[in-house]
Amino acid sequence: MTLNERVNPGTEKQGLFPAEEMTSTQRVAALLAGKEIGRVPFFPFSLGFSALNVGYPVATVYSDPGKSYTAQLLNQRMYGYDQDPFLGYAAYGTYEFGGDTNFPTGANIHAPSSVRFPVTSEKDIESLQLPDPEKAGMLPRALEFSKLQQQNGTGISVVLPGVFTLGVNLCSVEKLCMWLVNEPDFADKVLSIAANHILDVVSLWVDNFGVEVFMPQLWEPAAANSIISPRHFERFVLPHQKKLHERILALGVTHILCHICGEQNKNLPLWSQVPMGNPGIVSIGNQVSIVDAIKYFGDKCVIAGNLATELVGQGTAQEIYDTARACIEEGRKAPRGFILMTACETPPLTPPYNFYMINKAVRD
Amino acid sequence: MEKLREMIINGTNKGIADEVAKLLDQGSDAGSILNNVMIPAMDEVGDLFQKGDYFLPELLVSARAMQNALEVLKPRLVQQGIKGAGKAVVGTVKGDLHDIGKNLLAMSLEGAGFEVIDLGTDVSTEQFVGAIKEHKPNLVGMSALLSTTMYAMKDVVEAIDKAGLHAGVKIMVGGAPLNDDYAKKIGADFYGADCISGRDYARSVSG
Repeated sequence: MTLNERVNPGTEKQGLFPAEEMTSTQRVAALLAGKEIGRVPFFPFSLGFSALNVGYPVATVYSDPGKSYTAQLLNQRMYGYDQDPFLGYAAYGTYEFGGDTNFPTGANIHAPSSVRFPVTSEKDIESLQLPDPEKAGMLPRALEFSKLQQQNGTGISVVLPGVFTLGVNLCSVEKLCMWLVNEPDFADKVLSIAANHILDVVSLWVDNFGVEVFMPQLWEPAAANSIISPRHFERFVLPHQKKLHERILALGVTHILCHICGEQNKNLPLWSQVPMGNPGIVSIGNQVSIVDAIKYFGDKCVIAGNLATELVGQGTAQEIYDTARACIEEGRKAPRGFILMTACETPPLTPPYNFYMINKAVRD
Repeated sequence: MEKLREMIINGTNKGIADEVAKLLDQGSDAGSILNNVMIPAMDEVGDLFQKGDYFLPELLVSARAMQNALEVLKPRLVQQGIKGAGKAVVGTVKGDLHDIGKNLLAMSLEGAGFEVIDLGTDVSTEQFVGAIKEHKPNLVGMSALLSTTMYAMKDVVEAIDKAGLHAGVKIMVGGAPLNDDYAKKIGADFYGADCISGRDYARSVSG
């Protein structure tokens, strides 16, 4: 079945909720433009869940751009949420720089993970080359995916890690962390290469799709304070990340979605120095309060967060509904706007009724 | 001995093997170096980590220094018939290829004088049960980073129970998506929020 046949099977689907005047894409555009949007948007961060929901293996959301796009679009229509389809994973970079990434195949493996890193020693850094963004790893698939985004009039995005997470994906968390302490020049070199690669990819997307409806997503889980100190963040991550964002915005990009994943409370004053666009979108984990996110980013960014994924995957429907409502009430205080979002990817095996309850909370 | 202590706390890897060799050459007792200097130094590192003064990078460089010091010390410890604090089997559960949590636990246990049998990542239920039968550890530690893979822990606990091995081994679990409730629900004996609490539990049941 073609993409067109799957998403347009004769009668326009209304989903589980009554049709609304604004499409999801329009609602997010209006939010970013500071206009009235009717209700809080919901970004469920659901990749594997979308695949399973339409009968595809989880692997297809990473391996098959057409099926990935279709699964997410059908899921979006079914539940009426606002996050347009996107393609990405936190282990990005290993494969693109010549290492090996394991893509999900088994019953329990639901996310790609790095299995052989391209940098295994100090010597490898010297010979590390920036890959061609049109050919490297999964980027050809990501380009194909963005062409579908463009053809179907949904938001265009490319998902990339933050500089530290890309550094980790190049040489492993152990090695990069030890270099922070003992070999700071190596750590800097890796992070510089990471930043240059991210800029190369974003530039390619700007060249291909323009800047009008393009929003890069940068995910940064590895710089969390469960891994590195705010001192190391300030010394190593902040300069590269800040410069990267400045260079991305200089390309004409107006909004960056930055997923500050996990426990990053001690990094927040530092993250607030990183430009995100006007406005940017800062997505936080449940370890960071919405109140703190508003304090540090609220004047410049839309705040997105922060439903715990454990709760979404394993909580009761009532707990999920109540927590989502509480998030929305807190988020209403964000001056540049709020998006209800899961703290990270919705677990693929989340009971569909739990997912429905979040959408219900948004509409109530 | 103070220099060795400082090298471990500061994570100074360069020269640590020579420092241990020098102490042994000077007639220091291997058991005394381990129990009175190296293990207390790693305990200090653990305390700094739990207090939030140290983070993963500092913990890792100290653990690496400790491991390299231990390499020099081990033959002498074996020679002297000095036994470790206990034996632990560790692994990341089936379907999960992330090894950082498991590695940190292994390093922390080794730093506390445990013998560690590291089964690696993507470890099946059968491999865990087989390793318990073969190595007869005091503890088995399971790690999972993903909310989807943590469910495999339940299968391992059930298999250990079914094989009649649970009476002789304590089961501890850890990983980002886990909590104490989940550990209790699946019948594990302990949930470790971090590698240091895992180490402390291991000590408490191996004394």
